[in-house]
Amino acid sequence: MQTHDETSRASTSEDSQGHGPFTSSSGQPVHAKHSEDNSPAHSEEHQHGGIAKYMLVFFALCILTTMSFFTYSPYWPWRDQPHVGWIFMMAVSCTKALLVVLFFMHVLWEANWKYVLTIPAAMMAVFLAIMLIPDIGLRSRMVSQERLLHMARPSDERLLEKAHAQREEHPTTAH
Amino acid sequence: MNASTTLTGSGHGISSHDDSHGDNGNDPSGHSSHGLVLQYQPGLPLSRGKLIIWLFLSTEIMFFAALLGSYVVLRFGALVWPKPHHVHLSEPIGAFNTFVLICSSVTIVLSLEAAKGNRASRAKLWMLATLLLGSLFLGVKGYEYSAKFSHGIYPWSPRSRVFEKPDLYYGSAVRARLGEPEIIERLKKLDETPENQLTTEQLRARTSLSQVRKIVLNTDQQPFDLAVVADQIMPLATETGHGESGLNDTFTWLQLPAVIPGGTMWASTYFLLTGFHAVHVVVGLIVFVILLTMTLGPKRAGTIEAAGLYWHFVDLVWIFLFPLLYLF
Repeated sequence: MQTHDETSRASTSEDSQGHGPFTSSSGQPVHAKHSEDNSPAHSEEHQHGGIAKYMLVFFALCILTTMSFFTYSPYWPWRDQPHVGWIFMMAVSCTKALLVVLFFMHVLWEANWKYVLTIPAAMMAVFLAIMLIPDIGLRSRMVSQERLLHMARPSDERLLEKAHAQREEHPTTAH
Repeated sequence: MNASTTLTGSGHGISSHDDSHGDNGNDPSGHSSHGLVLQYQPGLPLSRGKLIIWLFLSTEIMFFAALLGSYVVLRFGALVWPKPHHVHLSEPIGAFNTFVLICSSVTIVLSLEAAKGNRASRAKLWMLATLLLGSLFLGVKGYEYSAKFSHGIYPWSPRSRVFEKPDLYYGSAVRARLGEPEIIERLKKLDETPENQLTTEQLRARTSLSQVRKIVLNTDQQPFDLAVVADQIMPLATETGHGESGLNDTFTWLQLPAVIPGGTMWASTYFLLTGFHAVHVVVGLIVFVILLTMTLGPKRAGTIEAAGLYWHFVDLVWIFLFPLLYLF
C-alpha cells in the first residue's frame, strides 16, 4: 500500500520536473504513459483523496460542533449536572480531533512511522498534565489562612448573588 | 524509463540528486554510469519536509498540552471559577469561529488536491479562501478581545480592573477611581444635568451611583455593602440576562473596578491560550501569503501539504480550546 502511494507521488513529481509547470493541458497523457506501472497506485490516490470524502468529514465536523454547542442550549437535559456535559464535550472534541488527524492530515493513509511520532508525544502530553496536579491542581487544599483571606471563595459569589437578588426585589433602595 | 521511476520512487525523488550518494554512503563505485540508479534509503519512509513538519508538530503537541493541561488543572483546582457569561464570553461567537476554522481546513485540503491535479489557478483560489477564512477568524478574535478590554478584563495587572472579591481593597480601589480629578469633573457635570435631559436608564444609574459613592466614602463598610457596590457597577451576568447593564455600561467613562470571583486567573489563562493560538494563526497566514506568490502546481504539493499539516494542527488546538473556554 505504502509503496504504491510513494510510486505515484514520485511519478507525479517527476512529471513536473520533466515538463515544468506548463504541462497543465498535456499532464494527463504523460500519466497515461506510466499507467502500466502505477495504475493501482493511482486508483488508491483517488480513493483517499476524494473530495467527496473530505466533504463528508466536513459535514461530520459541523454536526459534531453543533452537538457540543447543544450543551449550551436550554434543551440540554443535564443542565444541573455539569460533569455530563464536560464528558460529552470532551468525547465530541476527541472525535473531531480524530477526524481531522486521520482524514485532513492524511494520517489514516500514512505508513507506520505515524505511531513513532504521535504516540510518544501524546503520552508525554498526558504525563505533563498529570504532573501539574500535585502542585497546582491541589493548591487550594493546603492553603495558608492569609492566602485564603485574599482568594475568591464560593461565599463571595453567593454574596454578589444575594446583593443582586436584593436589587431585583427592591429596585428603589437606591434612594 | 519505468525502471528508473520505480527506483527513484522509493527515494521520494531525492535520489535523482547527487547529494543522495553522500547521504547513505553505500555503493560509491559510480554504478550510475552504467545506467543504474542508486537507491536512497531514508530512515523513515517519508520525505524530509514532511518529517520535519511532523517533528515540529509533535513538539507543538507538547507545547499546547502544557498550556491546556495547566488551564484544566488551574480551573478545577480553583475554589471559584467564573462562568463563561460572567466574563462576557459569547458562546455563539465561539461556535462561529470554530466553524470558520473547520471551513479553512477544508479549503486548504482542496488546495492541495487541486495542486496535485495540476490545477494551479484553482489551488491558488482555495489558498486565497483559506487566507481569508483565517483572517476572518482573527478578526472575530480581535472583536472578542476588545469586548473583554471594554469590560476592564486585561491579562496584566495595572490595566486590569477586575477584583477577585468585594473586600476592602476593592472598596478603596473604587474610592480611588471616583477621586480622580477627571471623574470628579464628570460627576459634577452629571449631577448638574437636569432630569429631563437624561433617559430613565441614566436617571436610575445616577441614583445608584450616588448610593455607591455614599457606601464607598463610609468608613466602616460591611462586606455586603461592597457586594452591593460591585453589583451596581457590573452585575455578574446571568445566563439569561446577558444584556443587563451596570454603571460601567451606562456611563462608559466611569471605568470603575469590577468584581469577578476567579476573574484574574481566568483572564491570565484565557489570554495566554487564545493569544498563543492567535500567534499560530498569524504564522499560518504569513505562510499562505508567501505560498500565494508561487505557482501552486504539483511541484509545490509538498510545500502545500506541510503548510496544510500545520494549519490542521492550529484547527485541532481550537477544537479543544472552544469547549474548554466557552462551554465548560
